Amino acid sequence: MRINLVYYSREALDSFRKNWVMSLAAISTIAISLFLLGVSTIGASVVNDMMRSVESKVKIDVFLKDTAPPADIKVLQDAIIGWSEVRELHYVSKQEALDRLKEDLKDDPEMLKQITGNPLPASLEIWVKDPRHVSVVVTRIKKEQNLSTLVADTDKDIKSGKDVLDKLIAIRQIMNASIIVMLGLLGFASLVLIANTIRLAIFARRKEIAIMRLVGASNWFIRWPFMLEGILQGLIGAALAVTLLAVGRSVVFPQLKEVLRFLPIAFTQTAFIRLVAVLAAAGTIVGLAGSGVALRRFLKV
Amino acid sequence: MVKMTHVTKIYAQDKPALKDVNVAIEKGEFVFLVGPSGSGKSTFIRLLLRELLPTRGDIFVAGKDVVHLRSWKVPHLRRNIGCVFQDFKLLPNKTSYENVAFALEVIGRSRHVIETQVPEVLRLVGLGDKFNSYPDELSGGEQQRVSIARAFVNRPPLLLADEPTGNLDPGTSLGIMSLLNRINRTGTTVLVATHDREMVDSMRKRVIALETGKVVRDQQRGVYGYED
Repeated sequence: MRINLVYYSREALDSFRKNWVMSLAAISTIAISLFLLGVSTIGASVVNDMMRSVESKVKIDVFLKDTAPPADIKVLQDAIIGWSEVRELHYVSKQEALDRLKEDLKDDPEMLKQITGNPLPASLEIWVKDPRHVSVVVTRIKKEQNLSTLVADTDKDIKSGKDVLDKLIAIRQIMNASIIVMLGLLGFASLVLIANTIRLAIFARRKEIAIMRLVGASNWFIRWPFMLEGILQGLIGAALAVTLLAVGRSVVFPQLKEVLRFLPIAFTQTAFIRLVAVLAAAGTIVGLAGSGVALRRFLKV
Repeated sequence: MVKMTHVTKIYAQDKPALKDVNVAIEKGEFVFLVGPSGSGKSTFIRLLLRELLPTRGDIFVAGKDVVHLRSWKVPHLRRNIGCVFQDFKLLPNKTSYENVAFALEVIGRSRHVIETQVPEVLRLVGLGDKFNSYPDELSGGEQQRVSIARAFVNRPPLLLADEPTGNLDPGTSLGIMSLLNRINRTGTTVLVATHDREMVDSMRKRVIALETGKVVRDQQRGVYGYED
């Protein structure tokens, strides 16, 4: 078996050298495909992190009339805090709202001067446990009795970040779908290119193969060098993709962090190692499948 | 060693290459398969090698049911059949030693076996001084000897030769035939498909004659018997 392995590898490498142009085409297609797979995996992970952080910030604001009776506010507050979906509730008084505005505008004294009196309403800030429950909670608030004494306009004065959230989710879905389609096409192209290089390799060795069959070499003995060649192409493609990704990660990530300072962007070492394993596996599978197709079609044993 | 019963092979419709062929060849026999081009000689050989399956009929080679053999067992069948062809089928980038060794390498023989068997068989076929010659440095007869050495190195019980002297002059052909005869005397069954009239007539071996896919004659110590 030891001798065989040496033999298979020698044959595979030999054929690889002879057909290096086609091999290069196949390898670069795999490298590009796997690179894009890597980029989209990292991208999806980053976007997911960002969305989770945005989701956790989604809250419901209920703006209260200045004339709202404190007792009724208290009743509403107690009711809402009792709901299982609600994580936290905070009453923002008119004064607190003004203080927050002044804090936000402290770098802009001109604007600050414009504010006279206190035009801001008091409000209830509500955080839910799961961002998907935002609309449920909003509907239930709208159904509360005595709401008309507290809130002037149930549509305008009860606000949530739900719309933004829905848009984000939609964007993520479209992004994922288009990435999957693109990867599928690239994977197919890699497979076809590998199959073609293996076909050339089979053609180049057809005399040897004929003799091997004649003297009774086993089918797998004949197939292995070609399978190895396909796997080799897949793995080299994967290695190139990993190198590109590693370089990209060390160059692009720090800059991204700089630009999007308010969002948590991270792709951990462990996640990266897992990605490398996935890419290597994908390269091997595409290589195997490509040579398998070629062997089935062009090597009748 | 070889047994065909009611074997029919049809490639295209209505044009059978072999029609109801019944042949039995015993162990240790030397048999000529003769007939004009297109008479079915090559089909006969390819059926024995299981490169083709018969349309009808049963074939046994070396005790194996060739027709019902699982495809992954075909290589083992072929290890029991040595094969020699008109065009030698040698690898041009390998020396005569390497060409013979290749046949053992690819069926997984150990280096030790290769190093003892290959020189022995090359000496047997009379190429003791041509181990390191490439095919294009050898004459046609010498190339055919390399190819016989390769077919015989594994000591198969059956040796098939398809027009082994088709590309050789009469003198050289004689040498090849006497080599096949020598191999036959070691106990190997030899089947030679040929249309080399003088050869067949001079050897006086069993002759099976095919004509348009039918066995028209099967005689011990026969002659070629056609006027062509």
